[in-house]
Amino acid sequence: MRLPPGTRDWLPAELRRKRAVESVLRSVFEHWAYDEVQTPNFERFDALEAGLGETVAQKTFVFADKSGTQIALRPEMTTPVARFVSTRLRDAPLPLRLSYIVPAYRYEDPQEGRMREFTTAGLELIGTESLEADVESLATAVEALDALGLRDAHYDINHAAIVDGVLAGLELDATGIAHAKALISGRNIVALRARLAGTGDARAVDAIVRLAMTRGRDEVLEIAGRLCHTDAGLAGIERLRGVLARAAELGFGARLNVDVSLLRDIEYYTGFIFEGFADEVGFALCGGGRYDSLLPRFGFAAGAVGWSLAVERILIALERRHQ
Amino acid sequence: MSAGLTVAIPKGALFADSAAQLRAAGIDVPDDPGRRLELTAKDGTRVLLLRPTDVPAYVEFGAADCGIVGADVLWESAGSVCELADLGFGACRLVVAARRTDGYHEGAQLPTFLRVATKFERMAEAFFAERDLPVQLIKLHGSVELSPLVGLADLIVDLVATGNTLREHDLVVVDEIAASTARFIVNPVRFRAKYAAITELLAKLDPAVRA
Repeated sequence: MRLPPGTRDWLPAELRRKRAVESVLRSVFEHWAYDEVQTPNFERFDALEAGLGETVAQKTFVFADKSGTQIALRPEMTTPVARFVSTRLRDAPLPLRLSYIVPAYRYEDPQEGRMREFTTAGLELIGTESLEADVESLATAVEALDALGLRDAHYDINHAAIVDGVLAGLELDATGIAHAKALISGRNIVALRARLAGTGDARAVDAIVRLAMTRGRDEVLEIAGRLCHTDAGLAGIERLRGVLARAAELGFGARLNVDVSLLRDIEYYTGFIFEGFADEVGFALCGGGRYDSLLPRFGFAAGAVGWSLAVERILIALERRHQ
Repeated sequence: MSAGLTVAIPKGALFADSAAQLRAAGIDVPDDPGRRLELTAKDGTRVLLLRPTDVPAYVEFGAADCGIVGADVLWESAGSVCELADLGFGACRLVVAARRTDGYHEGAQLPTFLRVATKFERMAEAFFAERDLPVQLIKLHGSVELSPLVGLADLIVDLVATGNTLREHDLVVVDEIAASTARFIVNPVRFRAKYAAITELLAKLDPAVRA
């Protein structure tokens, strides 16, 4: 009797540890007044497809039910929540604070921290585009990982418009920009240097290549500001300055780094983006950001920001810590 | 200040230049490490001496923070590591070669179904697929240049540095697929976690970054 790849059983002791993590998360979510919601584990693929974007849609389990309708197992929870809010909660007073801890499914090559069935837990703050909302989203993630015992986790932040603003100064068509962004995101600096050669002033190209491998705080934003050619990019840089300043006031500024190569693989992000890391594990512990164009795709004009984590990844990180 | 880093470097053809680069960066790797598999430099840097094809796996899974490896090895490894710098040494080319007497290099008609012997399956497959040429790939692990001489393959896809091996076997280059040099690679999460140490080592290794 074999399980399908990327699935697992939970022995009583393992499940106790998982439930303990979920219970810590629930208490943090409640403390911040995020109300828990659920959606079906499977729903019509066409209802989700609009929100998911190509990368995640390709990893979604899709099958036909007996009537021939295409059904999808949810690959993440942000899109189902957006669908749900835009239909059932569209008259609710904004902003909405919603949380969830539910199973999700992705057709991944199974590896540590990447299973085909996993538990996604997260928060969505809907109906506000403010800096304070971005800061609250990040602060709740920091508090959740702290409460779980990952107090030395550090966080990389970025804004989705910065790389576009920087690349706008070069002679690149849409395909070239998409290619360059993929190389920046994978930090394939050698290929990036080759791809950008001859697309603009050699010193500017060199500076962009260096920016793709620089992490820091205000100094990185200063460099990015000099290289950025769009108002949206400059506004993104200002937003990150704001996040850094507020985070410093809240006491976790030193745990943040700006990294313009942080481009999350879900296409709906439009603004502030972040991921949390611990040194022991080779994957992000949590991640999220602003997705102002997602709810409009469901006919509901509202900005939103949120984050999620995979409970199984937290368990791996905690296990490593105690070894 | 690279103390605390674990660096994977390849034994074999790229070892001497890799060791020299690390020494220039202040990490005392001996010319001849003998049969040692790992050593700790005076500054505390741990150096792993690996088979070249194993370097990407050690870096990908974080057993090493960073490493030096030929681009030719990265072509065939599916793993996700960041390629931060072209170190310039160890230059070679991946070429399609055939027997001189077959005349393929002068435009002689290729057989309709090609047999191609290579160690570089991914690169060879992509190259022939792009040209819509049906081929049967024969994976070999060494002495690929022998295969056309004994009728095992019509063509080979192999690395060429000086071209001497091809000449010795009366083989000629039919096409060039890619050029390779040594690369500095890093584990994406370790790059974040040990940013200062890795950036400092990189600056000492790579003239383009230092400039």
